[in-house]
Order: sequence, then C-alpha cells, then structure tokens
Amino acid sequence: MATYIARRLIQGVIVLLVVSLICFIIFRYMGDPVVTMAGKYATFDEIELVRKSLGLDKPMHVQYGRFIWNALHGNFGKSYVARVPALGLILERFPATFELATTAICLSFSLGLGLGVLVSLKPYAFHNRLIMAGSLGGISIPTFLIGILLIMVFSVYIGILPPFGRGDTVAIGPWRSGFLTLDGLKHLALPATTLALYQLAVTLRLTRAGMREVLAEEYIKTAWSKGLPPKKVIFKHALRNVMIPVVTMAGLQFGEVIAFSIVTETIFQWPGMGNLLLTSIYEGDQPVVVTYIVLAAVIIITINIVVDILYALLNPKIRYD
Amino acid sequence: MKKLICFIACICMGLMLALPGQSLAAADIVVAVDSPPRMMNPHGDDSDAGLSIMANFFDGLLQRKGLKGELMPALAEKWEHPDLHSWKFYLRKGVKFHNGNDFNAADVKFSFERLSNPDVSEFINTGKNLAAVEIIDDYTVVVKTKDPTPWFANNMHQLFMMDKESTESRDPGDVMQKPIGTGAYKLEEWVKGSYIKMTANEDYWEGAPSLKKVEIRPITEASTRFAALVSGQADIVTGVPVELYDKVVSNPKLEIISQAARRSIFLALGNKPGTPTADIRVRKAIYMAINEDEIIEKIMRGHAMPAAQVPDPPTVGYNPDLTRLAYDPEMSKQLLKEAGFENGFEITLSGPNDRYVQDEKICEAVAKYLAKVGIKVTLDVKPKSIFFPEVSEGKKEFYLIGWFDGTYDMGRTYFKLAHTRDMESGHGQWNGAAFSDAGLDKLLESTADMTDRAQREKALQDLNKMAMQDLITWIPLHYQENLYAIQKSKNIAFTPRPDRWMVYKEISMQ
Repeated sequence: MATYIARRLIQGVIVLLVVSLICFIIFRYMGDPVVTMAGKYATFDEIELVRKSLGLDKPMHVQYGRFIWNALHGNFGKSYVARVPALGLILERFPATFELATTAICLSFSLGLGLGVLVSLKPYAFHNRLIMAGSLGGISIPTFLIGILLIMVFSVYIGILPPFGRGDTVAIGPWRSGFLTLDGLKHLALPATTLALYQLAVTLRLTRAGMREVLAEEYIKTAWSKGLPPKKVIFKHALRNVMIPVVTMAGLQFGEVIAFSIVTETIFQWPGMGNLLLTSIYEGDQPVVVTYIVLAAVIIITINIVVDILYALLNPKIRYD
Repeated sequence: MKKLICFIACICMGLMLALPGQSLAAADIVVAVDSPPRMMNPHGDDSDAGLSIMANFFDGLLQRKGLKGELMPALAEKWEHPDLHSWKFYLRKGVKFHNGNDFNAADVKFSFERLSNPDVSEFINTGKNLAAVEIIDDYTVVVKTKDPTPWFANNMHQLFMMDKESTESRDPGDVMQKPIGTGAYKLEEWVKGSYIKMTANEDYWEGAPSLKKVEIRPITEASTRFAALVSGQADIVTGVPVELYDKVVSNPKLEIISQAARRSIFLALGNKPGTPTADIRVRKAIYMAINEDEIIEKIMRGHAMPAAQVPDPPTVGYNPDLTRLAYDPEMSKQLLKEAGFENGFEITLSGPNDRYVQDEKICEAVAKYLAKVGIKVTLDVKPKSIFFPEVSEGKKEFYLIGWFDGTYDMGRTYFKLAHTRDMESGHGQWNGAAFSDAGLDKLLESTADMTDRAQREKALQDLNKMAMQDLITWIPLHYQENLYAIQKSKNIAFTPRPDRWMVYKEISMQ
C-alpha cells in the first residue's frame, strides 16, 4: 500500500509539471499585461521599464525555471491586477468555494444515492418514472440557465431567497464561514442547488443502473430467500457493491466542483476561487491563472488518490502491490 | 447514532443564535457597482473604476465637481503656473489623515515621487515626467516637470495624496489592503469580491458627509445586478445594461437616471500608402456607409448621442461647428468607384467584446453596412486584455475604440491617438492603425507649449477640424450614455458625475 501511494504521488508531481508548463506557454500568448500595467499614457520606454521590473523581458525557459524555483519555495508570484501574492489571493477565497462545493456535493450525493436506491426498487412505478425524467432535465439544462431560473423564481418573483453574495459570515480565524448564520445559509441555498442539480442527476442515474444490475444477482436472491430484513439486503449487500463506480464519480465531481464552479460563482457573485479565475483570465492576470490551475491540479490529483484508497477499503479483494 | 446527530444539531443551532452575524450597524445605502476595486492603493490603478472608489478614501490636491467637471481646490487651496515647467501649490492647513497624522508638503512630495515606481503605480508616465518636487515650506510645494505640460493641473484630481509616515512604515501588502487617506470616508471592512463597507470621516476638512455608512457591492454579472435591484438588496445600481432599461422603467419602485457620458466611441483607420484606406475618398465612403442613427436606435436602444468628433463638449478642443457626414450609401459607392474600388476590397475590423456598451454588436453592424457598399469585412473581436495590447503595437487596419480624457483637454489624447508613432517620445502609443499625417503632427506639436487656455482652445479646435473634416483620421460614432437605477422609496438625492465616479460625499438622502 505504501509503495502504491508513493508511486501515485510521483505520478502526480509529473502531471503537475506538465500542466504548469502547458499553462505557462499558453498564457504567454494571451495578451500583454505590461501595456495595461504601465498606464494609459506611458511611453514605449516606460513600458519596457515595467516589463523589466516584472522580469518579463527574459526568455521563456528562464522565466519558467524561475517560476518553478519560486514555486518550490511557496512563492507563486504577485498578481498583476492586485499586486499581492497570487497564492494568498486564491487561498483567501478558498473557504467560500469549499463551503459551496461541500454543500452541493453533500446535497447531490445524499439525494442522488437515496433517490437512486428508491427508484431501483420499483423502476416502473409512476413516481419513479417521474424522477427519472426529472434527472434528464437536470443533466441537459445548462448550469447558468438553472441559476438564472432559480434567481427569477425565488428572488425576483417570490422574493424569499437572496440572489447574490454570501450574506453575513462569521470569521473564525482566517476562515470565513457562512454556515453559522441564518443569513449565510439563505445565501447558500440557491447557488448550492444550482451546482448540485447536475451532479445529483448523474449520481441518481448511476446508482439506479448499478442497483438494478446487482439486485438481479444470485447472492441477492439468496439473501431474500434467507428472510433477511429488506434494509439489510439493500444497504449492506446490494449498495456496497454498487459503491465503487459511484464513489469514483463522486470523487471526480468533488474535484471538478471545487476547481471549476466558475459559472455558478459568476451568476451568484459568490466570492470564491472560480469567480477569481474568470476575472483573472479576462484581465490577463497570468500569475493568478497559472497558480490556480496548478492548485486545481493538486486538489484533483489528491482526491483521486484518496478515492483509490477508498476502493481498497470498500472492497477487501482489491490489493495494490 | 441518532443521539449524536441530535447533539450536533443542537450545538449548531446554539452557535447560530449565539454568534451574531455582522454586529456592525446596517448601511445607510447599498450600492451595486459593475466592477470591483483591484486594490486600496490609490496609485496602482489608473482606470476610472478604481479611481472612483479611491476618491472616497483619498483626496487629491484638486478635485472636480459639478456637471462640467469644474476643477476646484481640494487639498491645495490655490495653485499657480509661474513658468512653463513649474506648478506651485498652496496647501490647506489643518487637514489630518485617518490615522491622525498631519497632512503637509512632505506627504505631497512622497506621493508624487511614488508615481514613477512600477511596483506600486500605474501612473508611470506622469511620474517619469516629474523633474523635481520642491518643498518651499510645510504648506507650499513647487512641482517641476521635465517637458512643458499645459494640462498638468487638470490631472490633479486623479492623483491622490498618501501619508508618508504610515505608507513607508507599513508592509506593501498592507498598503494594498488598507487605505489611509484624508478622504470623506474611512474603510471599515473590505471582503474581496463581496463588499466594501465605509464609515464617514467626522473630521473631514470639507465637513462630515451626510451618508454615515455606505456599503458597496460589486456585481459583475448584469442580470444579477438587476435582480439585486428588483429584490431590494441594492439601493443604487450603476451600469444598467441597455437591454434591461425597459424593465427598470416599467417597475414602479425603481427610477432610472441617465446622463450623457463623456466617452465617445469611434472607428480608427490607417492611411499607409498602398492600402485602400490611404485614399481619403475611401475613408469618406466608409464614414457615409454607416447608418449611425440606426445603430443608436436598434443596438444602443436609443441610449447614445451621435458624435461628430471625439472630444465631448466640456473638453478643450471640442469644436461646436463640426457636424457628422450624412448617411448616404449611394454617395459612398460613388466615392469608392472614383477611388478605383468599384468592386470593393477586403479589410479586417477589430474590436473588444467586453469593454464598451454593445461593442461587439456595433462591430457586427458596421461590417454589415460596409458589405452593402461592397467592402468585405472580416471581424476580429476579442477580449480587451488581448485587444488593447494589439492596438498599442500599431498593426491594426481598422478598429473600434472608445476614449475620454480625464484632463478635459484634447491635447494629450491627440498625442497618444493621432500623432505619428514615435518610439522615443512615446507619441502615437494608441495610434493602432499607424495613421500618419505630417501637417497634423506639426500643428499638434505647436500646441505643446501653449498654456493660455484661449490660445489652446483655438489651436485644438483647428486641429480637431483638420482631423475630422480634412483628413478623416477617425470616424466618430456616438457618445455613450451612463444609466443608473435607484430605489424610489429611499429618497436618494443623486446626480451622476460626468466621469462616472461614485463619490459618496456628494450623495445624500432627503
């Protein structure tokens, strides 16, 4: 197990290096931030001065080498837009995105799993067919449309939920939490639902498909005929065997939701990392974008390693040697 | 298991009730703006969006007020222009920074010298143009410029004064987050991306402002800003998109305030010998092929004023005698035939897609109008962060751009936009199509030494006429309109500023 983890970590580092190199090269051609930073009325010489002070006049491989060297020391450069360290800027927004992502994933996982099991037991009942049709809607309607529809219904017409921001938050040390105030929870409702809907639909369909396959197996028939209580048959025997693909999906989704909830954050003006990423791309703020993508890669790689370890726990037959 | 869950739920409820959310008092007004501040360092962002917020925490030596943006004393009570290179300022006595430090000449010298440092300032050009800042006594300062700059004082409302002692003693990251100025408001809290809370500075030298607590919430997405207004979460909203104008007007709880903006939108053309646009008949033809009234009606939904030139009425250089060339596609085709382009030609029209109101749609419309007279246009529309650096490289053929000059003087704008590109002097930095005319350059250079306002006005008006009528340097389209929406129930007395700044000491509730 230990060698397996070590191997995965080394693979992770290689992926990080490749990802950062690709980012670096692409954003070189994304526009020249120096022109904006030197001010509207700067002369060509003054622009060159600013370029030199940022180290952007050096050749590409020198810049990349410097970036890697600094990154290893925890210095990811200063944002061109805010002139403060890029890593700090992103991490400042991490609590907001994390709370949103966690709420969305909890919602989608619990509801998706629960409804999926329910639907698989009596697949041709009317209410279950309705749920399946609804899940199709959840997959095909794009996130921004769901978000705008929810705002229209709940904020503008009915007027019970707020349409933007995090509301009143409580600062516990460096972490700003919206979970501890009623206002914060109200503000969390719409964005979390928007984000959760797609994941919920996917989890639901996956669980249903897996359960239907497992419920037809011989050992389940044996369990029924032994007279075991239904709860035990469904949850202890059937569901555990369905969990592997579901957990894989959930892991991938969690990584994706944390790193790329850009659209939802923009619509609801949620002050998270995704929002920062979008504005940084538009402003040509290369340090923030590259740092963000490296960070996202780290998060996704870590989550996938954790998921692989969970497999071994769920299914004792799986061995990594 | 059930007991554990119940226990945790009880703890959470307890925390929720015990911990107050934000125990700070509610704001007097909540304003939803379209762009967030990048930092609290007043020199670090030269865009109006940033300066608008900084104007509340800081003061400059001078300020602009009123619908014409009249230049008035602020931290300087009086100013003089003894010779071509010097500007003398007599500072106001008894002004204190938010931290209690006195404002005096040392702070002025420090603030000016900071401008040329690229790590903290975007006003590099202004900074590099300063030869020296001399302290005559604690309340008198003389600023000497390297090149004679007739519009120098006109810029003083954008250059804010910082406290020397506290800026030098603090760590640069802290300077970026916490502003210490002499302004009408102090920063209470800034949660990036969420809100800015300000409280009134009761010791403000002009008198404490009437709004005691202001909350600014940046919401970049236009439809969300609209939802905030309609749901009552915001009292004033800036930047109402033209598509939502009708919805706001029809809502009885809301009121729209519109104002002609200073920014004019225009098309720039090159005149390199050998290209079709080098022939003035071709440029005239392009001008006449565009139906500006239709653009204003259909794309801008009526929220724009047609423009015959680039400067707006209060700017020195605005020539009231100039009129637009009428829309005449037949004449346009005639002119193209005369110039030898009966079958038209191909050209690329570039533009930003996230900078001006309906910028992308205007470009598409222009392409369609030109197609009707036989000119094939390839559209090249891209985000501003890529578009503007390309313009400054000077390799464009034909592009859309907007501009207004904060100094209310067309001279500086002409040097940057119309003068032949020149690496050494920095002229023509934004002359993206490399338009070049020796006569224009000569007339423009002659204005550099003129400081008498009447003389400058005459010279710049002549220059403007030459550029618009004789040379067709640019094809002006329209002046934008600034749209704001407010909640009627709050009885807010708000007159928008022509530069779109939101200065809260000027707003009050009845």
